[in-house]
Amino acid sequence: MEGGGHDGTPISIEELNKLKSIAERARKNVVRMLFYDQTIHVGSSLSSIEILTTLLFKYIREGKDPINRDWLILSKGHAAPALYALLVEKGYISEDELWKIQDISGLLQGHPETFIPGIDMSTGSLGQGLSFGVGVAQGIKMRGGNGRVFVIMGDGEQDEGEIWEAMTHAVARKVDNLIAFIEMNGFQLDAATSEVKPKDFLPDVWRAVGWKVLSCDGHDFISLINTIDEALKAKAPVVIFAKTRRGMGFKAIENTVNQRASPDDAKKYLTNA
Amino acid sequence: MMQRSTLPMRDTFGRLLAELGKTNKDLVVITADVGNSTRAMYFRETFPDRYFNVGISEQDMVNFAAGLAAAGFKPLVVNFAMFLMRAWEQIRNSIARMNLDVKLAVTHSGYSDSGDGSSHQALEDIALMRTLPNMKIIIPADSADVKRTLPVVVNELRGPLYYRMGRDYTPVITEGLDYDFKLGKGYVLKDGEDLTIMGAGVVLYDALKAAEELEKMGISTAVINLLSIKPIDEDLIEYYARKTGRIITIEEHSIYGGIGSAVAEVVVKRYPVPMRFIGATTFGRSARSERDLLDFYGINSKSIINAALELVK
Repeated sequence: MEGGGHDGTPISIEELNKLKSIAERARKNVVRMLFYDQTIHVGSSLSSIEILTTLLFKYIREGKDPINRDWLILSKGHAAPALYALLVEKGYISEDELWKIQDISGLLQGHPETFIPGIDMSTGSLGQGLSFGVGVAQGIKMRGGNGRVFVIMGDGEQDEGEIWEAMTHAVARKVDNLIAFIEMNGFQLDAATSEVKPKDFLPDVWRAVGWKVLSCDGHDFISLINTIDEALKAKAPVVIFAKTRRGMGFKAIENTVNQRASPDDAKKYLTNA
Repeated sequence: MMQRSTLPMRDTFGRLLAELGKTNKDLVVITADVGNSTRAMYFRETFPDRYFNVGISEQDMVNFAAGLAAAGFKPLVVNFAMFLMRAWEQIRNSIARMNLDVKLAVTHSGYSDSGDGSSHQALEDIALMRTLPNMKIIIPADSADVKRTLPVVVNELRGPLYYRMGRDYTPVITEGLDYDFKLGKGYVLKDGEDLTIMGAGVVLYDALKAAEELEKMGISTAVINLLSIKPIDEDLIEYYARKTGRIITIEEHSIYGGIGSAVAEVVVKRYPVPMRFIGATTFGRSARSERDLLDFYGINSKSIINAALELVK
């Protein structure tokens, strides 16, 4: 279902290269965090880099008015290092803060907190971001605002019962200013999703409930942009199944259940990259 | 003392809420398919566009309300006490952690859903809410208490707040008393010298009844309506610990972690005196009335009198 729905202005090579270089710096910074803390969720973070880059640098309209700005809710809060690395690129936080992640003296928590600049929802407990997003989207519509809500979830997260509650609720409310991402990287905490609980039926379920269902390559900017452009035209809540790889680009853990790697692995990656 | 009756607390609540919606344009009401039973329906009838029944989905209800608060509304969640606890983790991780302006109003607390039995009887909710940072707890004793607290809760107080009510059983306790509600302040229902009974909610009816009996036995007994359980009136508790030297707490809730525990924390810190705790120690059961259950589990004036005689001897 890739492609279709261009908004008429194809992305320029310059813009594409800009997005690529931002993502690459963020990817390196996530891996670099391993020098300072080996307990962060590197695998899940690297799965989210391109999605977050695209949203933050092409779509999200910032502002103070809660109904006339866009919202970014990282429901898979364990990918916080990726979001932090991109908030550095945005200028919300200083790069030095990244090296103090999870440290008692640092600002950056293991999972997002709203006291950190640029964070729209405190997350960390899975399955809660979509309900919150439906609430924000409903509030925006009630006041006639133009804000849009982007919620990023994982595939393992779909096991949570609250997802069903929120998925059915969004359709009942007809919140067409809500776009949800589900990263299909095929792993959850203990093992591959196929071993824990199959997820292949998910697009059928979301479609049956009444969502517009799209899919894309979650690491390919053109695929992401085409799909988001199409999503923004929809008259219903949209879910984008984004095929991603856990640990994308970091060979020591890429496409494995492993979240973490050693500083040596990080050094090897940064030297060769 | 005659037991007079007024409108049940939930009806007073529901009607007043609809009134408050007229001036408070940001007020939105969210429930999980219990709008009729909780009397949130009066708000629905007046403001259908600001009323949301999310379906039987308590977890989603809580985070949906959190999202509405983030977007600038003043959400009030209305549900059965028991089933809101299903979403305790959502309350903890979204509403309390982000310190969002979401009020949680519950009916059917304690034994008040008598017929439905233990699955529906919330005897642990105060403890669960009390332990949450940023959470405030208000427990009105009767309809008059609802009238003096709800406008302040809805229009003036900011941040997470748990507002605990029962179902139908609403003996008159505070009607006609001249008291302006302030967060963190309890008030004296009856003064005394030898002993103080402290509590909140409908069981204060039994506290007053016991105090009347104890007076006849020559034991001068004070009765305090704590009303604000978090923050709690530490100064008032200390004052009566010093003045009467003995405290009995009564609550329609587990004695483990509830109102008695909250009072004991203050007493031990400020001025230790002997205490007795009257409340639940296990699950409830079905009965035809809340009154039958309060008597069956000994959360009544008789138990207070026995505890008082033990403390005074």
